[in-house]
Amino acid sequence: MKARYVLIALLAILALTLGACAPAPAPAPQVVEKVVEKVVTQEVKVVETQVVEVEKVQTQVVEKIVEATPSPEAVPFVTWMQYDQGNVDPKSDERVGNQYLRDTMPQFNEAFAGKWVWENQFTPFDRAMAKIVAAVQAGADVPDLMDVQAAQINTYYNNGTFQDLTEWAKAQSWWSKMDESAIKLCSGPDGKLYCIPMALRPSTVFVWKDRFPDGFPTTPEQMLVEGERLKGEGKYAYTFFGSTAFDGNGAGRAVWQIVASFGGQYDDGNGKLKLNTPENVAAVTFLREMVQKGYVPDIAFAGGFQEEEAFKDSSAGAFPTGLFGYRYVNPLTAPDGTKYDLKNENDMFNAIKDGQVYLAPQVAPEGNKPGCGADASGFGIPVGAKNPEAAYDFINWILTPEQNPAFVIGPGAGFPADTEILQTEQFKTPFYEQAAKVVAASDCRMAFPTITDVTGASKAVMGAVYKLIKEDPIATELQKAADEFNSQL
Amino acid sequence: MEQTVPAPLRDDSSASTRTKRKRRRIDWLPFWLILPTVLVLLAIQVYPVFYTLVLSVQERKPSGWVYVGLRNFERLFNASAVRESVGHTLIFLVGYVVLTLTLGFIIALLLNRKSRLSGAYITLLFIPWILADIIAGAVFRLLVLPDYGLFSGILQQPGIFGPNGLSVLTAPAPKPWFGEFPFPPSPALIYLILASVWRALPFVTILLLAALQTVSNEVIESSRIDGANALQTIRHITIPLILPTMVVALFSLTLGGMNGVGMVFALTAGGPGNSTEVLSYLLYSIGWSALDFGRAAALALMIAVVNLLLIAGTMRVTRLQQRSE
Repeated sequence: MKARYVLIALLAILALTLGACAPAPAPAPQVVEKVVEKVVTQEVKVVETQVVEVEKVQTQVVEKIVEATPSPEAVPFVTWMQYDQGNVDPKSDERVGNQYLRDTMPQFNEAFAGKWVWENQFTPFDRAMAKIVAAVQAGADVPDLMDVQAAQINTYYNNGTFQDLTEWAKAQSWWSKMDESAIKLCSGPDGKLYCIPMALRPSTVFVWKDRFPDGFPTTPEQMLVEGERLKGEGKYAYTFFGSTAFDGNGAGRAVWQIVASFGGQYDDGNGKLKLNTPENVAAVTFLREMVQKGYVPDIAFAGGFQEEEAFKDSSAGAFPTGLFGYRYVNPLTAPDGTKYDLKNENDMFNAIKDGQVYLAPQVAPEGNKPGCGADASGFGIPVGAKNPEAAYDFINWILTPEQNPAFVIGPGAGFPADTEILQTEQFKTPFYEQAAKVVAASDCRMAFPTITDVTGASKAVMGAVYKLIKEDPIATELQKAADEFNSQL
Repeated sequence: MEQTVPAPLRDDSSASTRTKRKRRRIDWLPFWLILPTVLVLLAIQVYPVFYTLVLSVQERKPSGWVYVGLRNFERLFNASAVRESVGHTLIFLVGYVVLTLTLGFIIALLLNRKSRLSGAYITLLFIPWILADIIAGAVFRLLVLPDYGLFSGILQQPGIFGPNGLSVLTAPAPKPWFGEFPFPPSPALIYLILASVWRALPFVTILLLAALQTVSNEVIESSRIDGANALQTIRHITIPLILPTMVVALFSLTLGGMNGVGMVFALTAGGPGNSTEVLSYLLYSIGWSALDFGRAAALALMIAVVNLLLIAGTMRVTRLQQRSE
């Protein structure tokens, strides 16, 4: 009898334990009620020199974070994004996207009052892919929508992560206005559409004007001459993502720009790597010369995005990277000492507006079009999403002319994939005008159009390129030959 | 015709069986008591092992999981990245374990002298142990960042560390002396060893200090009376007496060094090139970056075999220690 009671008690404990393992109810969505941004302009008149200094003080006052109170019948629309609406730190790397969510979530909830209520779960960019792939494969809870980099679409395709959106997308009113290259970027190797592109993110070169007084070089030969001149001044021509960090992510950045400029490729078009080509050899030889001659700072190889430091303090004259780089590369100190110290994307915009920084196409051998990496940011609907209808509503809503520019300029950080929206006033700024010219002058291509293991391929490419440009294989080979011969004497 | 058994005999037999049953009756209560624990262990320990076994013979394709037999193991054996990372792991483990044990033993000997400040020293010494690997790695990284790190001014000074100075995080590994085996290691791997030693030193020191305190003063004094000097006493008396603890520390360090990924992640991310890519980091990289769970499972099993051997060694030594006590 006693044993039976103990057994019942044990079963009760077991049931409680298993109950505790059940998924917890989703927390109520948080929305920042109001974020007030004040720009105070102070004029300080210095009588003696008659110089008027204008100091801008930007402060962000976060008033209150409140819990949104959805109407009882509203269904949660869950997203995983690399932005966090609850993070109000003005120094956060993702402050632009964070602010965008704070502004936009209440608007969405209002537009779909009683139907959907937007719940965003912050998912850091470097963990998002692993998290969603594992969640889909494990049959765990997945979001209704997720932000996606088109460069990763083949990996998602290989893992069966996202739903095929082709038929649905073709039936929408915005379909005919979509940039063809953007659609291609979001398509898997089977030609089906796995994400809806929002912003095209080509790569470009950010240039400090005063470091290249005669203009940014157009050919590799000119760049080597400029590199030598800058070295004589104790400066560097380039800084770029030269490390093997982030599993060879650098292979799709500046290195790809250079390789593409030389007419090279990584991908044989049939899902395999093809590296040993004369164009690739010429591109790597050029990079190697730049590095070995000291035209590139050592920080370029440290990883952790620390290569940006050399451009921020203008010790390096140029920085080839994605167009979205403007959001992250700040504060800035120009060669003449002017400081752009708002510590947000406006630093780069202001430096461009002042003519201190401009955008340029990559150098390319005579007769070649400058290389440029093509990428896009967009949205995908994971397999197993509970409310795909909410995701469809969201995509249609975010692609309206009222909503789309804010997304593209903010977290999208590129050109609108919707060609009509590209013609609107918001994209007539010096930054976008320069970027448009660079893209028009360049041959923008994907680094790995058919390879499904993009990470593995990136790692292999960057590992090889790193060894070739940083280490000393020529000397090594000469030494090896001498050693082998001498050992037989 | 029905055969009948005489009643008295039958009664005796059933009575004896009942007695036997009563004697043999199993008390199920302890089993019920440990059942929840067993279930939890099955769920979080045993099931993942079987799942890893299943994954290790599969590969992900767009159509789903495909059985590939031993192909994942074959791919690992043929990959130069794995061979190189085995070399990096061996160098890392030897450097890390030898330095930590040696320094830990020396510091423990000093602390065992019972100076007035021993308590304060032990407290100070313990600080690295309370820091997470990621924090320690990030701090060590910031110290030597090229051009911008705290020590970069000294390290990159031409003349002190070679004609161009030393950039710890970006300097490539020297030309290998023994074929493909990555020796001598890159400056980044040496720095990784030093950072890991700094982090693990408190644990080993405390462990050895505790063992040293069990060594009887009388034994030490007797050896001195017999004419042994300090080094001879350490060599012939102290070390043999604390040897089992030293061996346990050795296995513990080896296991920690073999499986730790946080320090590599924060300090070098496997670079420059792949010069600090140890097996644990390679496993993380194959699994969570390349999302090749099948190959990662195969590598995990290979690492698990090494770990099992180390655990078996530790248990054997621990048993020997218990017997000697």
